[in-house]
Amino acid sequence: MASASALPRLDGWAPTSPTAGFGLVDVTLQAGIQFHHNSGAYGGKLLPETLGSGCAFLDYDGDGWQDIILINGMDWPGHKRQRTTLRLYRNNRNGTFSDVTRKAGLDVEVYGMGVAVGDYNNDGFPDILVTSVGQNRLFRNTGKGTFLEVTRSSGLAGRQGFSTSALWFDFDRDGLLDLFVCNYVKWSPEHDVFCSLDAKHKSYCTPEAYRGETCWLFRNRGDGTFEDVTAKSGLFDSSSKSLGAAIVDYDRDGWPDLLVANDTQPNKLYRNMHDGTFKDVAVEAGIAFSAEGKARAGMGVDVADFNNSGTVGVAITNFDNEMTGLYRAVGNGIYEDVSMQAGIGLASKNSLGFGCAFLDGNLDGALDLLVANGHIDETVRNIRGNVGYAQPPQFFLNDGKGKFRDVASELGTEFNQPKVGRGLAYGDFDRDGDLDILMTTNNGPAFLFRNDQSSGNKSIRFRLVGTKSNHDAIGAAVRIFHGGGAQLRLVKSGSSYLSQSELPVTFGLGRQDGIERAVINWPSGRVEEFKSLAAGRTYECVEGKGITPLTGF
Amino acid sequence: MLRFHAPGRSPTAGLILGLIITLAAVVAYSWYITRQISGLRELQNDLVDRNRKDSLQLLRIQNDLNSLGLAMRDMLDNDEPYPLTAWSAQFQRIRSDLDDALRREEQLAVARQTPEQKQVLRNSLAQFWDAVDRMFLLAQNGKEKDARAQIRLSLQARQAALSTAVSRLMVQNSESEEQAALRIRQIYDRVQHQVYVLLSATLIAIFLTSVYLIRSNRRLFAQLAALSEQRSELAQKLISTQESTLRYISRELHDEFGQILTAIGSMLSRAGNQSPEGSPIRTELREVCEIAQNTLENVRSLSQALHPVMLDESGLESTLDWYIPMVERQTGIAISYKKIGAPFPVNGNPAVHVYRVLQEALNNVARHSGAREALVRLQFLADTLQLEVEDHGSGFVAHSSKQGIGLVAMRERAELLRGAIEFLKPPEGGTLVRLRIPRDMPDSHVT
Repeated sequence: MASASALPRLDGWAPTSPTAGFGLVDVTLQAGIQFHHNSGAYGGKLLPETLGSGCAFLDYDGDGWQDIILINGMDWPGHKRQRTTLRLYRNNRNGTFSDVTRKAGLDVEVYGMGVAVGDYNNDGFPDILVTSVGQNRLFRNTGKGTFLEVTRSSGLAGRQGFSTSALWFDFDRDGLLDLFVCNYVKWSPEHDVFCSLDAKHKSYCTPEAYRGETCWLFRNRGDGTFEDVTAKSGLFDSSSKSLGAAIVDYDRDGWPDLLVANDTQPNKLYRNMHDGTFKDVAVEAGIAFSAEGKARAGMGVDVADFNNSGTVGVAITNFDNEMTGLYRAVGNGIYEDVSMQAGIGLASKNSLGFGCAFLDGNLDGALDLLVANGHIDETVRNIRGNVGYAQPPQFFLNDGKGKFRDVASELGTEFNQPKVGRGLAYGDFDRDGDLDILMTTNNGPAFLFRNDQSSGNKSIRFRLVGTKSNHDAIGAAVRIFHGGGAQLRLVKSGSSYLSQSELPVTFGLGRQDGIERAVINWPSGRVEEFKSLAAGRTYECVEGKGITPLTGF
Repeated sequence: MLRFHAPGRSPTAGLILGLIITLAAVVAYSWYITRQISGLRELQNDLVDRNRKDSLQLLRIQNDLNSLGLAMRDMLDNDEPYPLTAWSAQFQRIRSDLDDALRREEQLAVARQTPEQKQVLRNSLAQFWDAVDRMFLLAQNGKEKDARAQIRLSLQARQAALSTAVSRLMVQNSESEEQAALRIRQIYDRVQHQVYVLLSATLIAIFLTSVYLIRSNRRLFAQLAALSEQRSELAQKLISTQESTLRYISRELHDEFGQILTAIGSMLSRAGNQSPEGSPIRTELREVCEIAQNTLENVRSLSQALHPVMLDESGLESTLDWYIPMVERQTGIAISYKKIGAPFPVNGNPAVHVYRVLQEALNNVARHSGAREALVRLQFLADTLQLEVEDHGSGFVAHSSKQGIGLVAMRERAELLRGAIEFLKPPEGGTLVRLRIPRDMPDSHVT
């Protein structure tokens, strides 16, 4: 990665130490999170069983502390054994969480897959969309610690599908969050296809066996209802088998574009044409296929400026025997897969990646890549000896020069344990300035890993509140400058797989005590600049109203 | 070095001819192979690679047509809540990919497809898209039913026809690929055949040249051996003539002149005794008598030097005992002489040859080496007699060119005795002459 290595080094920023500089401690039980995903598997090997489910960090009560939502499946009709629902955990601000699912009115039984969190009615409290096999559910946050299901009244009802990832974004820039939902394939329990790895036992199918299903785009009318603009916007595509989605302004025109990872189908990069329509430019951009021209099994996706170049790159996790794609923007809206050069390609070849996220684990100023791995079939080891069903996650530490190294084994034994990983999100739940990890497993527990820094690196965080823009400021870009170097973070919904990370953005500063300036590009088009900010705290920026340092993070 | 004119032809011309033939065959074959390979490469580039790329584009076209088929099926299924116009973006995407694939395919298939074929495909596609546009127009105007009918009646049939046409092209492609493979195989067969021919020709050329070379070599060696034999005989004759001449002269000197001088001496002595004492005649007679006595001594000594009678009478060992001190006196070189081992008698010709070798070696020391000291070792080993003459002078190599006939004679003498002679360089410098002869040496014909 020649150009990445030619990037200006940030003077005085801590170089990546030979050790990771941080650990990930399993605090799941200690934090009071007792969750077990129910895939509903009873032996029928129905396709959706192997794909769930997602998770998210969100601050549903607006107290500045990140809460947790974990999506759950349920037993199949005719195979009912237990009642399982999603779980909402409220942050007790002391390292523990309380299960407030019932109190919040979220104990609704649904075959859930993914989650997207966004304040679609701009009332200051994030609302929740749960995607599912069947009918997706929209829960409006009342602001009093409870949620109201508004699926029907919002106009989202009556749409059966096999929805996966979803995200909130303001594609028409009217200050209201619109909703994009991925669909996987046309599937119903009655039409589940018999697939087998060993020609004897039924196993989970790859999506070739099913017909694709279009993604959906719902425009927010601003009155609490949504209009299905899938067809009108040109996003309709009945061949897509979508699993992951991310917002990316790939042409840097201020209008959010959409990146969709498709399973065994070409990935889609929908360019926002500013008139409510989108045009697929994935083939031209070089992101539709692998370098060999093959459509890979795209799962999770994340976008970030991982080489501090000022441009946004892309990571897409793929099936085993297919490498994770790491795409670098090379200008003119073209991406180049640098996975091999970066040291991620071969390392990811024998794992099946789902959730993925760019985050600065050791706060050295270079974004690392975290991938949750796990196969879809427990009999895979019989067929491919070097690939297991449970697989350890991979934490690719960025050395700041374009090379990545998997340090998962150095971060903690529980973290490095093989898991059937699916969903993945990050957030600073303990408000110590570094990023903690939430990870779900298929038909298994969810994990909360606390980030414990030993590097001594400092960080700075920003919480954005939109006024003209949508309240969550989703789509905003925050840039910080120091010593000739710059870093970029995006406020985003979606990304990863079925999951969503916290909305505040975190910059690792290495040994620096502060930054020269921060520039915020709001979704509304407004640009604000703030000078001389000290490290070690979170700043709350309200669009057009200035910046307020909080005490600590 | 002896020069000679060999009987028969020199082998060089034959060898050069063989070499030229072989080289010509190799060059000709290389040219042939290069031509065949370039032909093969052309064939592979032009046909096989092109075909492969073309097939890939055809696959892409087929895939697009498939996608169109699936999209149309989805449209007819009517299980989406969207109007049929929703599919237009998807159709547009497939159309642009199809156009690109067709453009590439046409470039690749330029040699194979007839203009008519191309026209047929282009026309059917144009008709298809025309029908698609009409269908979407119907849908746009709210005539969904008519649009679906259009799909069922016209579009699906056209799509199937297109798919068949493309399949035909793919079959054609694979047929031409098979033909190319056949031609490639033929080329390989031809090349293989030529390899065998060249190999045989080269082997035959090498064989013939080798036979010729071996034969002429054998002849050369035979000639060399005969020459060597002749030379050896010549040298031996020379030596034996020299020895007999020397012996004859020595004997004549000793016997004839010795007798005469002895007689003259005693007569003079007698005449002196008879002449009056104190007379001048008596004094003169005594002087003449002394001269005769001296001359006798000199004649005897010369006779000894030419061929020591001692050699014939008392053998080698005694002769050396007498000879070496004499050389010391004559040349002024200090000779350290050692006898090692239990002596056994060495008489006759062997004694003569060993004596002559020693004489020549010491001559060389005196004349060429510049050394003032020499070592002579005579070793009586179990079945060998070894004579070593060593000096630490200027060395053998420095004056080898001057030794000429002396060295040859030494070698010949050693050979006559079935022994060996070596000229070595001792660690201290100078020359070491080592003669080894078997104990039961032949009493070879010297006389």
